Amino acid sequence: MNKEDILRATDASIAHLKNIYGDESETLIADARYGFISGLLKDVLKKPPVDRVTVSDKIDKVIVNRWAGIPIFMAIMYGVFQFTFTLSAPLMGLIDRGFGWLGGQVATVSPNWLGSLLADGIVGGLGSVITFVPPIFLLFIALSVLEDCGYMARAAFVMDRVMHKVGLHGRSFIPMIIGFGCNVPGIMACRTIENPKDRLTTIMINPFMSCGARLPIFILLAGAFFTQNQGLVVFSMYLIGIIVAIIMALVFRKWILPGPSGHFVMELPPYRRPTVSGVLTHMWERGRLFLIKAGTVIFGVVILIWLLSSMPWGIEYASAESWIGQIGSFLAPIFGPCGFGQWQAAVSLFFGFLAKEVVVGTMGTIFAVDEGILGGALATQLGWTPLVAYAFMVFCLLYVPCVASLGAIRGETNSWKWPVISLLYTTAIAWIAATLIYQIGSLL
Amino acid sequence: MDKKMTVALAGNPNAGKTTLFNNLTGAHQHVGNWPGVTVEKKEGNLNHKGYSITVVDLPGVYSLTAYSPDEVIAMDFIVEEKPDVVVDIVDASNLERNLYLAVQILEMGVPVIIALNMMDQAESKKHLIDIPTLSHLIGAPVVPMTANRNEGTEELLAEIVKVAKGEVETRELRIEYGREVEEEIAKLEQIISPTSLALKYPPRWLAVKLLEGDKEIIGKLKEVDVE
Repeated sequence: MNKEDILRATDASIAHLKNIYGDESETLIADARYGFISGLLKDVLKKPPVDRVTVSDKIDKVIVNRWAGIPIFMAIMYGVFQFTFTLSAPLMGLIDRGFGWLGGQVATVSPNWLGSLLADGIVGGLGSVITFVPPIFLLFIALSVLEDCGYMARAAFVMDRVMHKVGLHGRSFIPMIIGFGCNVPGIMACRTIENPKDRLTTIMINPFMSCGARLPIFILLAGAFFTQNQGLVVFSMYLIGIIVAIIMALVFRKWILPGPSGHFVMELPPYRRPTVSGVLTHMWERGRLFLIKAGTVIFGVVILIWLLSSMPWGIEYASAESWIGQIGSFLAPIFGPCGFGQWQAAVSLFFGFLAKEVVVGTMGTIFAVDEGILGGALATQLGWTPLVAYAFMVFCLLYVPCVASLGAIRGETNSWKWPVISLLYTTAIAWIAATLIYQIGSLL
Repeated sequence: MDKKMTVALAGNPNAGKTTLFNNLTGAHQHVGNWPGVTVEKKEGNLNHKGYSITVVDLPGVYSLTAYSPDEVIAMDFIVEEKPDVVVDIVDASNLERNLYLAVQILEMGVPVIIALNMMDQAESKKHLIDIPTLSHLIGAPVVPMTANRNEGTEELLAEIVKVAKGEVETRELRIEYGREVEEEIAKLEQIISPTSLALKYPPRWLAVKLLEGDKEIIGKLKEVDVE
């Protein structure tokens, strides 16, 4: 390493930041310092009102208001989901029809098994996941706009008070917001938290933040079982995720990792107009992961599921006698109390451990249909009711972080203990929550 | 024989730096020029509780970038001479503007004491400052004072001695620059850390300075040998 390398890397970094924000990094750094100071002064300085109030101060007066802050945050998140669904519905219909047509074409390919692999396995499984590209990318656009304009820093500021109550700090909310995109960068973002116990707690609750990979499950089921209130139902998943995360933070800080919490100043950077290239870059950074997964992990799993559904030789495709049916039937009784004790559900959840999109992909492969009618298949073939669908969604929200997240926890904590604990306790919570919802809901 | 130590006095123009300097050193002053430039350099001496303290008055500046010779001198002195304590004098009645310099000094990871001056004016403007919380959040001692009336000088000296003895822990202030900027800082830190530069400058601080495009730092980098 010599100084030319350092200078080159510096230039590259400055250019990268300029491309994203449209500003010199010098300005960004100065803004962050002023953001730090204005956050600091909110904590330490009380002065009589003055007449010179900036626009940013006026907006902040409402946005980070003691009472209005949290309702505003929730209203904005709700708006984000409505935006995502309204715009993505026609696009999803288009992609779905495309895959439907493609499936019809390849089904006739001979020999028979190859036609089945292409139509049932790849088009059915992968297609049901790819259909969700529009909502995922639109969600990421909306989150990027909120982040780039400076609102997300305010959201963390607003949550600061709640987080203090559970022994954490508002700064822990930033990795949680990043977790909405994907838990892996969310977990890595915990590095900025200096206090080790705060940090570990923030890492352990991150998987409850509903990542983009869970969105296909929610949209599929909300679309099929809650036609009128899709946005609201999906919004409720994100909310449940946040609430469970906060409750678990309290449990961790109180009993498992007790101790004083670190203190930070919450930065309030000035509002800035998001640039198109910045928003698109962020959307692409997050969305790229989804496409890569679809092309690698999910593609592989879909073929594996098709194989397991077709074996042993000669049975009816994806019947209870197939290997996958046998695995599923073995696991299914565990999920009986939750309301979805069918082998198809059990096996989807089992493989969803690899990546949560796989839950939808597995169902698409087993039912050999694409996304458009998959929801209907769950109702007619498995006899699911909206209650069962809701319990299933909550289970998917809360259970086992995917393999990549567990890997990130392992890397960040540098131990095997915490990923194992994460795997076990999240699944236990998911099971309890789904069972409670199904059992109490059945009584009503 | 008294133990020797150096205290650098930094602060915005009009924050009361000269008054504090006079309060501390009395008549024992020496006026010269900073090497190479025609900026006045004032030094003074005092003895306190077994310490022979040299106080260096840095030029009054609003920030530590390479925009003016004054700023370069102030930054250079802190980075290169590594004084035992930097006292940053802050106008309490104008906190927001004055803290910008304070934050930059705190980020350098040197022992800092904030001398919160003009408390009388802050009070008359009805500004209430929560000093313990301020001190806690920035990780440095904060001493309230009104230098005009020579109030708080003794307390400041007591604090200087405590810091010199290592009885007060001061820490490097870490500002969260936002995800994108932090990623770039981390990249640069990684390149800087294994080099000989890291022995001289805190890598994170250097990375931030480079991203700021600080000409002084880039100039220094071009001169030194990096291994």
